[in-house]
Amino acid sequence: MAPAGAELPGKVTIGTEGAYPPFNYLDQDGTVKGFEIDLAKAMCERMKVECDFVIQDWDGIIPGLLAKKYDAIIASLYITDERKQKIDFSQKYYQVPARFVVPKSSDIEITAEGLADKVIGTQRATSFERFMRDKFPEVDLRVYATFDEAYLDLVSGRVDAVMGDVVALSEGFLETPDGADFEFRGPNFTGAEWFGYGAGVGVRKGETELLNAFNEAIDAIRADGTYDRISEKWFGFDVYGE
Amino acid sequence: MFDLHGYGWMILDGVQVTLLVGLAAMVGAIAVGLAAALAKLFGSRIVRGTVEVYTTIVRGVPELVLLLLVYYGVPTLIQDTAAAMGREIEVTINPFVAGVGTITFIYGAFASEVFRAAYLAVPKGQFEAATALGLNRYLVFRLVVLPQMLRHALPGLGNLWMVLIKATALISVIQLPELMRSADVAARTTRMPFTFFFVACLIYLAITLTSMWLQSRAEAWASRGIERTQA
Repeated sequence: MAPAGAELPGKVTIGTEGAYPPFNYLDQDGTVKGFEIDLAKAMCERMKVECDFVIQDWDGIIPGLLAKKYDAIIASLYITDERKQKIDFSQKYYQVPARFVVPKSSDIEITAEGLADKVIGTQRATSFERFMRDKFPEVDLRVYATFDEAYLDLVSGRVDAVMGDVVALSEGFLETPDGADFEFRGPNFTGAEWFGYGAGVGVRKGETELLNAFNEAIDAIRADGTYDRISEKWFGFDVYGE
Repeated sequence: MFDLHGYGWMILDGVQVTLLVGLAAMVGAIAVGLAAALAKLFGSRIVRGTVEVYTTIVRGVPELVLLLLVYYGVPTLIQDTAAAMGREIEVTINPFVAGVGTITFIYGAFASEVFRAAYLAVPKGQFEAATALGLNRYLVFRLVVLPQMLRHALPGLGNLWMVLIKATALISVIQLPELMRSADVAARTTRMPFTFFFVACLIYLAITLTSMWLQSRAEAWASRGIERTQA
């Protein structure tokens, strides 16, 4: 790798999960698509580098970065203080709250008492898992390798509810045919303590050139309307958050 | 009959990769196995000891653990050691190489036992007769012993192949787009796990059945000219 202060490499490899629609997912040819992929391509254009995408399962996304399998993570990786100890983050490029999804027919209340001893599903090694363990410790928490597996168990009734971010739950589940009998319940959850400061680009510590390049690219696409265009295309609203 | 929701091509690509990995690893395993068997049979004490350690490790460690160690652990170890010595290097092992390499390493050990048993099964008289004819050790092995070894090794190797082709499914955990991984991605995205995992099962079964048929043909060929005195 180039020492600090050198030029950006001509090619930047970006690691992503490919299992988090609509932010990043794999389509039927195995090509990776999604809101974050479009954003990443726009950023790379601004940075004048060629981007390659590498799929990495969520459990190994940070170890993969540290093992230099890719140079940056763009995979809805929330900026948290815990993660900042291992890697560096760019400024955020989106921020959405978290919420519970339950069957329409269930009468679960989203309170500490209402959820006690209920079975809740979420993805392993995410802010959502940490939030559940801290805020709702009485819950029987089931963690999955991907959200799709959690949705499968929600549909089959193995879990009573799933907690995740509102956009992924909505576009990735509720809007699909399987999600017809399910709905959001309870308040939107936000808070830097668990969900950090939004999703940012992760890079290895010390990669200041790359980090600055990503930050400038994010500013650029926010300023010239590219970000709004991509956000409109995928969601119809602005996911940047406050 | 099966609505694959457009993922049929991804599954077919996955089958290609599975077969490629399987064949590459099988060739590697046979090469490694033969070398290891020769080392065990003819090598010095040290060589034999090393090979014993190799086969023991491989038979004692789960394949999944070894695979993750090779794919994640080895590059990180090399990079960290280099960094500690002040040099920044980048070591990447791609999933295909890591997968084929690990499976070759593991099944080479099993293959070495198959070859060793096959060698020991060749009657001593064959060696003596061949030497009496004036053939040197290398020619004895190549012209007389090896063809007869093959007959004894084929059942073991055929069995090895069936286990090996199933083991390729493990490489899905390091994101190699083989059959298991493709089926998993399709199952998760369409939320139809039964359809895709069942189709994957059928495909693995088809591969195995074809292999069994090929093996019986190969055994018939290797046994030509041998009178069977028992069933």
